[in-house]
Amino acid sequence: MDPLPSREIADMSGAAALPRKNGELVFNEAWQGRIFGMTVAMSHEACFAWREFQAHLIEEIAHAEREGESTSYYERWLQAFEQLLTDKGLIDTDTLAERTRDLQSGRRDDVF
Amino acid sequence: MQHIFNIDESRHAIERMAPVDYLGSSYYERWLDRNIRLLVEKGVITREELERRMAQLAGGTDPATPHSDPKLTARMLRVTKDRTPYRQPGPPPCFALGDRVLTRHDAPVGHTRLPRYARGKPGVIVRVHGTFIFPDTNAHGQGEQPHALYSVRFDAALLWGDSAEPRAPVHIDLWERYLLPDAPARSTS
Amino acid sequence: MSGGHDEHGHHHREPESVLSLRVRALESLLVEKKLVSSEAVDRIVSAYEQDIGPHNGAKVVARAWVDPAYRARLLADGTAAIEELGFGGVDLQVVENTPGVHNMVVCTLCSCYPHALIGLPPVWYKSFEYRSRAVREPRVVLREFGVDLPESTEIRIWDSSAELRYLVLPERPAGTERLNEADLAKLVTRDAMIGVAVVKPPAGASH
Repeated sequence: MDPLPSREIADMSGAAALPRKNGELVFNEAWQGRIFGMTVAMSHEACFAWREFQAHLIEEIAHAEREGESTSYYERWLQAFEQLLTDKGLIDTDTLAERTRDLQSGRRDDVF
Repeated sequence: MQHIFNIDESRHAIERMAPVDYLGSSYYERWLDRNIRLLVEKGVITREELERRMAQLAGGTDPATPHSDPKLTARMLRVTKDRTPYRQPGPPPCFALGDRVLTRHDAPVGHTRLPRYARGKPGVIVRVHGTFIFPDTNAHGQGEQPHALYSVRFDAALLWGDSAEPRAPVHIDLWERYLLPDAPARSTS
Repeated sequence: MSGGHDEHGHHHREPESVLSLRVRALESLLVEKKLVSSEAVDRIVSAYEQDIGPHNGAKVVARAWVDPAYRARLLADGTAAIEELGFGGVDLQVVENTPGVHNMVVCTLCSCYPHALIGLPPVWYKSFEYRSRAVREPRVVLREFGVDLPESTEIRIWDSSAELRYLVLPERPAGTERLNEADLAKLVTRDAMIGVAVVKPPAGASH
């Protein structure tokens, strides 16, 4: 009865609201769309409930505000997503750091 | 995949919420309440089952096992993208473009799509849309009874009186059963 | 755990390119572990970008501006005309703004909205205030939205009381004769298609 995309995701409100312009989602950089898509895809696969991710997002935003960090919405999203994946034992930060270095150095060249 | 309930039943379920609840709810809380109410009425879930599951989830256990079912997903996508055809064959329209009509003023018992502000008001037919499923009967399981739907134009002064703004007519989509002729029908030549 | 700590332990805002790398690394790992597929990510990004924004409606408006025959078909049968452009799923009635007529859409009974063409309804559209005032005092409401129309302009309010959805075809702003269809579409806002805004000419356009 609920047409795609998910209202639960699209209609998050308050500080967690997806950035929009003229009603449209705004991804200023390609990576923002990718991290959004990855999070949604994993929730579709029931790796976690959307509400779980949303709670992490809200907490990350609140933390960033308290600390006066000038991070953007999707930077905070990324933090929240990594935290959730780590909490669930789905990734570990060392492997992620190593993979990041490999991409940076050109040792790997995954393109999405 | 059967449709468990239709949009008219959905809307009517919202209308049956206690007014105090309706005014306090956000839009999506009303949506959720509507869905719960209808699922319980249709016997898909019981309130006890729902409350038990909520208690389990609140306690941190989720009895549902995560799984993905691509075939089910594909079926669900097809269902949600299909538009239920509201246009259905029905009897020919009684009113024509330009006809003057008067909306019924009797308050309906159940679901209706005649707004209260437009009851017992004179208007003019500005478009004949075709025949559509009738929500007043469809919402109560009395059948679709499709018949003519019109766009009816109302002068602001006739709706709101002296305080109406100038040149601000309101157009409402209304079913024939909401309408009576307001002037002798034009003779066909 | 927070990002942005460099070797000196200072917490700072990461440059964009490092973020992009990090996200690529994540995708790389998650794909490897078969927790996501990149195709699914592509589909999701497309769906959210396209299906919940006003792009679709803007394309319809821009086509009507450049093609008078399409405009006529759109006004006569909105449902069929939008299907020509690949949009469907809505029984549509398009109402055109002209120098003497301004159209405005509301759903007083709930909050019906042409989602397929203009995405999600804004919060104010669903509010009791808009739903009751748009029919009662449209000129005042429009002024609050920054639209000041002369008293001689007729304001037609359309209350979406049935399953037909309404879309306003705004007037094409002056000074846009040289723009192509894609550039015209970029000017068209969601609010203009609801009828609480007019389409502004691009900055620097001659009048």
